[in-house]
Amino acid sequence: MADIDLTHVDKIIARIGPQRKGLIPILQAVQGHYRYLPPEALQRISQISEITPADIAGVSTFYDQFRHKPVGQHIVHVCIGTACHVKGAQQVLDSIIHQLEIPEGDDTDPSGRYTVQRVACMGCCTLAPVARIDDTTYGHLTPDSVEQMLSDFARQRAAGTRHPKRVALASDGKPLGEIRIGLGSCCQAGGSAHVQQALQDALARSGSPVSVKHVGCVGMCHQTPLVEVIRPDGKSTLYANVQAPDARRIVRRHFPPKGLLRRIGSTASQFVDNLLTDETWQPVTQLGIEVRDPPVAAFLDPQIHVATEHSGVMNPTDVDEYAARGGFEALRQCITKMSPDKVIEQVTASGCRGRGGAGFPTGPKWKIVRKVPGDLKYVVCNGDEGDPGAFMDRMLLESYPYRVVEGVIIGAYAVGASEGYFYIRAEYPLAVKRIREALDKCRQMGLLGKNILGTDFSLDLKIMEGAGAFVCGEETALLASIEGNRGMPRLRPPFPAEQGLWGKPTLVNNTETFAMIPWILRKGPEAFAGMGTEKSKGTKVFALAGKIRRGGLIEVPMGVTLRQIVEDIGGGIAGGKKFKAVQVGGPSGGCVPEHLADTPVDYDALKGVGAMMGSGGLVVLDEDDCMVDIARYFLSFTQDQSCGKCTFCRVGTHHMLDILTRLTEGTAVAADLDKLADLARSVKQGSLCGLGKTAPNPVLSTLEYFRDEYEAHVAGRCPAKSCKALITYSINDDCIGCTKCAQACPADAITFAPYEKHKIDPDKCVRCGGCKNICPVDAVDVE
Amino acid sequence: MSNNMPTIYIDNQAVEVPDGATILDAARKLGIDIPALCWREGCEANTSCMACIVRVDGREALVPSCATRAVEGMRVESETAEIRRVRRTALELLLSDHLGDCMAPCHSACPAKMNIPKMIRQIASGQMRDAIETVKADIPLPAVLGRICPAPCEKGCRRAQHDSAVAICLLKRHVADVDLGSPEPYMPTRGELSGKKVAIVGAGPTGLAAAYYLIAASHECVILDDRPGPGGQLRYGVSEDALDRTVLDAEIDLIRRMGAELRPNVRVGRDVLLADLLRDNTAVFVATGATDETAAAELGLEWDGSAVRRDRKTYATPRDGVFAACPARQQKMAVRAVADGKSAAAAICQYLTGQPMTGTAKPFTVHIGKLESEEMSAFIASASSAERIAPDEPDGGFSSAQAVQECNRCLHCDCRCPDDCKLRIYSAAYGASASAYKTGRRTFEQHLHDHGVIYEPGKCIDCGLCTQITRRAGEKYGLAFVGRGFNVRVVVPMGKTLSEGLAKVAAECVAACPTGALTMREKT
Repeated sequence: MADIDLTHVDKIIARIGPQRKGLIPILQAVQGHYRYLPPEALQRISQISEITPADIAGVSTFYDQFRHKPVGQHIVHVCIGTACHVKGAQQVLDSIIHQLEIPEGDDTDPSGRYTVQRVACMGCCTLAPVARIDDTTYGHLTPDSVEQMLSDFARQRAAGTRHPKRVALASDGKPLGEIRIGLGSCCQAGGSAHVQQALQDALARSGSPVSVKHVGCVGMCHQTPLVEVIRPDGKSTLYANVQAPDARRIVRRHFPPKGLLRRIGSTASQFVDNLLTDETWQPVTQLGIEVRDPPVAAFLDPQIHVATEHSGVMNPTDVDEYAARGGFEALRQCITKMSPDKVIEQVTASGCRGRGGAGFPTGPKWKIVRKVPGDLKYVVCNGDEGDPGAFMDRMLLESYPYRVVEGVIIGAYAVGASEGYFYIRAEYPLAVKRIREALDKCRQMGLLGKNILGTDFSLDLKIMEGAGAFVCGEETALLASIEGNRGMPRLRPPFPAEQGLWGKPTLVNNTETFAMIPWILRKGPEAFAGMGTEKSKGTKVFALAGKIRRGGLIEVPMGVTLRQIVEDIGGGIAGGKKFKAVQVGGPSGGCVPEHLADTPVDYDALKGVGAMMGSGGLVVLDEDDCMVDIARYFLSFTQDQSCGKCTFCRVGTHHMLDILTRLTEGTAVAADLDKLADLARSVKQGSLCGLGKTAPNPVLSTLEYFRDEYEAHVAGRCPAKSCKALITYSINDDCIGCTKCAQACPADAITFAPYEKHKIDPDKCVRCGGCKNICPVDAVDVE
Repeated sequence: MSNNMPTIYIDNQAVEVPDGATILDAARKLGIDIPALCWREGCEANTSCMACIVRVDGREALVPSCATRAVEGMRVESETAEIRRVRRTALELLLSDHLGDCMAPCHSACPAKMNIPKMIRQIASGQMRDAIETVKADIPLPAVLGRICPAPCEKGCRRAQHDSAVAICLLKRHVADVDLGSPEPYMPTRGELSGKKVAIVGAGPTGLAAAYYLIAASHECVILDDRPGPGGQLRYGVSEDALDRTVLDAEIDLIRRMGAELRPNVRVGRDVLLADLLRDNTAVFVATGATDETAAAELGLEWDGSAVRRDRKTYATPRDGVFAACPARQQKMAVRAVADGKSAAAAICQYLTGQPMTGTAKPFTVHIGKLESEEMSAFIASASSAERIAPDEPDGGFSSAQAVQECNRCLHCDCRCPDDCKLRIYSAAYGASASAYKTGRRTFEQHLHDHGVIYEPGKCIDCGLCTQITRRAGEKYGLAFVGRGFNVRVVVPMGKTLSEGLAKVAAECVAACPTGALTMREKT
C-alpha cells in the first residue's frame, strides 16, 4: 500500500482542536478525506492531539459510520429499517449483492467499484425499499429493478451534473404563477430533483415567468413527487407521482409557450428529447388531483398542524417567509417580555410531554434544569432519530428548521443555558445542511450569539453529527458521544438535568418537542391543552409506513385511535390485504393487533396494550407479515445496536435472537418459547438503560397476541408464508411458458424454457416472490 | 444522627453510611455479600455485570446497588426470590459467553478430583513436598494408584488431541515414590484431637481413605477387617505383579503411623456387633464391600437392591451414627473407591462436629470442550513439543529428569484463577448452570506478557476494570474496549502487544480482574 499523505490529518486537528471532545468530528473529517480511517492516520491523531490510542480505538470501532478498510469508489447504502424490511429489503439487498457479484463475507465487489452497507434507517419509509448510492436515493426498489438502478446510477455519473437554467420573469418583474415542489429527502428519493430540473428547463424553454418554489414536506409521501401549480388567480391543482416527462406536460398545460415559433420548437424538441432519453425508470401513475379529492381529504383533513404549521406552503430555507408567518414571535415575546419562570409556567400549563418516546412532562423537566445551581448549562436537541420506520424528526429538521431552532432558543432561555448542540444523525445530511444554514442565518439576525435581542441572554448552538449508533438516542449515551466517547449510557439518577454534559446541568429534548414550543407560546398553553386526552395533550407527528395505502407523515391530536389512523387517514391496507397489526414505537414498542386498533394514541393507553408511544413510527402489517419474523427483525436491530455494557442486554438479547432465528428457520423446540419469554422478562428487569429495558417489548407483545404463530413455527410452519426456510416456491400446471419469471428471477433459479412449464430450483431460490408477482397467470404457489 | 450520614435499611437491617456512599457500600458494612463482579473498591462503578441488582422501595425497576446512592430512609431488599433469580440469570448469561475450564479436563475427569495441573507445576519447579501435599489432598494412596489406576484423567487430557496424553499417572506415582523414599514421608499436621472416634468396618481402599481424612481432621479411627492383612481388594483382588506388596504395605503403614488402629481378623456381625461399635465410638463407617442382602443383614443393615441402604450424598444409613459406602468392587476403579472414602469422611466430619449434613458439593466448573486446530496451536505454543516418553527406571517409574520433561508437555489448560474467580464463586453460590444458554462459542485466544501475565479474552466478562485502571495510570496504550454490543472485546489498541499495553499496571489489573481473564502465569 502506498504511503498516505498525513498532512490532511494535521490540518484537521489544527481546525478542530486537539481535545478529546473533538474525536468524533475529527474521525468524521479524516474519513471524509480518505474515505475510510487508515491506521496511519489514527496513529497520527494520537501523536498530535490529547487523544489516546485507547480512545481512538474505542470510538472508531463503536459507531457504524467508521470504516477501517478502504471502500469502493461508490457506497451503496441499503436501508433495512422496519418499513423497508416488511417491503422486502432483505431480498433487495441479496439481489444487489448478487448483481454486483460481491463475495461471501465481503462488502465490496471484485472490481472495487461498489461497497454495499446496510443502514438502520434512512427515514424514507414510504418509498420502501430504499437504497442510496453516494448522494442519489432510489425508492420502491424490487429485486428485479436493482439492475435498472445500478445502470441508472452509472449513466447519471457518466452524464455529470447539470446546471439549473434561469427562470424568465414577466415584464413587471413578478412571476406569473408559482409551481411548488417538495424537496425533502423522501421527495428527492422519489425523483423530485429530476422533476424540479425538468420543470425549470420546461419553463425556461417556454419563456413563462413562473417561479418554481421549493416547499417543505406536505406529508403525503405516498404521492411524491408532488407538484402543486398555483395560477395567478390563486387556483391550485395538485399533481402526484410526477416524473420528469410529466413536468413538461404540466408546464405546457398551465403555462403554454408564447409565440408560434416557440410552440413548434417546443413540440419538436420534446419529440426529439423523448427519442434520445429514457427517463421512465419507474412505472408512472399520473394523477391530476384536486386538493379536495376524497383520498387527499381523508389524508389531510383530520390533521392539526402544530409542529408542522404551514405544511406544504413555506419554503424551508426562507427565513423571511418564516418570520412573516409568525416565526420568532414567540421567541421575541419570551426573551424580551417574559421571565424564564413564566415561560416554564406556560409550557407546564400546556401539558406538553416529551415527544422522543418516554413522554416525560416538558415543563417540569425545564423546571428541574432551571433550579439546579450553576453558571454553565447546556441545551441539546436530540435529532438522533434512530427508530427504523420513524422519519418525523428528519422532516421537521428539513422542512421547519427555523421553528426547531426557535424552540431550542426558547428552551435555553427558560433553563439558563448558554451553549447547546443539535445532535443530528449522519444519515440525515439534508437535515444537517438545513440546520447549519438556519443557525448561520439566526446568528446574522442577532437571534443567536451574545446579547440576543438586546438582552443579557447569550446562546451559541453547534451541530454534532451522530456517527451511527441507535443507542445514542438515549440521552446519557448521546451526551457521552458529544464528549467524544463511545456512546455508552450510564445509570440514572443522576439525571442529565442535574449532571449532564461534562457534569453540567443539561436540558435534552427531542426535536419534535422543541418544534411544538413556538406554537404553544404564541397561541397560548390552553390551546394546546385543549387538544388530546387527559394525560396526553396536544398533537403528535407520526410516520405512517408499511403495508398502508397512503403512507406519509401526519400530525394528529392525541386521542385519535390507531384504527382511524390506519383506515381513515391511511386508507387501509394496500392491495386489498387484511389488516393484521400495527407496530407502534419501533424497536422499543409493541405490535398492537387489529382487534385492539381502537386504542387511542395516548401515552398510557398504548403502554396498557403492551406497546409504547415511542417517537412516532407506525408500521402497518398485513396478513403476509410473519409476526415471529417481525419480532426477530426488531431483536436483530436492538442486538446490533446494543452498546455492550450490561450483561442482560449484551448477552441476553443475543440468546433471544438466537431462539427467534431458530424459530424462523424451523429448528426451535417447544421449550424455547418459555425460555424466550423468561429471558425477555429478565432482560427487561436487569438492563441498564432504555434500549435493553424495552428491547424485549416486540417479543413480549407478539408472544401475547400471536402465540399461535410462534407455536406454528415450532411445528415447522409459517402461517404468513414468509419465513424463507419454511416455505417453498413452485410452479404449477397453469404455467404458459411465457418466461417472465425466469427473466425476473434475481437468483437465476428458473431456467429459461419458452413454451414449457418452468421449474424453480429450490436450492437457488431466495424466496423473494419476484416470480409470483410477475406471473400473469398466477402459476406460482407458495407452501 | 448527623445530616451527612444517611441511614438506610437493607432487608430490614439499619445501617448508617457516609454521604455519597452506595447501597453496595452499605451492604458490605452489614456483611451482606452482594455479588458485584465489575466493582472494585477505589474504582468508579462500571454497572456492567448487573449481578448486584437490588430492589429499592418505591422504584419500579431493579437497580444496580454498586452505583445507586444511599439516600436517607431508603428501604432495600437484596435477597428476595425474584432478585436471586435475576442474579442467577445474569451469572448464567455471563457463563454462556465465558470460555475456559475452571478445572482442566484431567482434573474434572479424575474421580477423586485431584488437582493435576497444580501437581504438574509443582513437579516442574522441583517443589516435591508441595506436590505430595497437593496429591494427598485428594488421593491418600498415590503410590498404589500410580501403579494400578486406569487413569481416566489421561483420557480427558487435551494434549492427546495433539499427540499423546501427558503421563499423569506415572507423574503422580513419581511424586508418591519420591515421598515414600524420603526420610520423613509427608503426613498431614493435625490439631488437637477432637475426642471423637470412628469405627471403620473394612480396610479396603474406601475404608483406608476415609481413615486418612478423618485422622487428618483430628478425629480418631479404628479400622476393623475380617481378613489377616489390610487393603481389601488391593491385597486380595489385585495381582502381585500389578501391585508390589511392599508399596501397598508402605502406604498403609503411613496411615497407621498417622494414628489409625488396625484390627484384623475381626468380622463385624459375628465377632462384634454394630451396636457394640456404636457404644465405643461416635460413629461407624461400613466399607466392607458387602454385595448382597445377606451380607447387609449380617451387619444389621438394610439392602436397597444394589447396595447397603444409604443416602447418596451424606452416606447416612437409617441407623443413627452409621454410615455406609458403595462396595469397592462395584466402583470398578480403585480411585473411585478412594474418592468415595474421602466424601464419606467429609460427611462424617459434619456429623461429628454437629454441622448441617449436606455432604460435599460438586465443584463448579465450566468446560471449553473440544478444541479447534488453531486453538490447539495457541496452547502448544507455550508447551514442549516432545512426544510422550516411556519411563526409564527399572521399577517402571520416571526418573526426576524424566518427570520434569514430561511435565513440560502439559498445556496448563486449567484456569489459573480457580479460587479467586468471582464468576465461579457466585455461580456456585447461586446454583447457576453453565449450559442454561448454549449457542456457538468464541475461539480460544491467549496473549502472553513479558512478565508472566496471561490474557485470555474468552474469559473476559467486559467488566471494564482493567480499562479504567490503565486509563487512570496513564498507560500509553493500556487496554481498551473495541467494537459494540455482543462483539465488544478488550484489546491493546493499535495492534500493540500485551507487554506494551500493560507497561506499568499489569499487577493491579491482574488483581482487579474478577475472572481468570487476566492472571499470572506461574500461579501454582
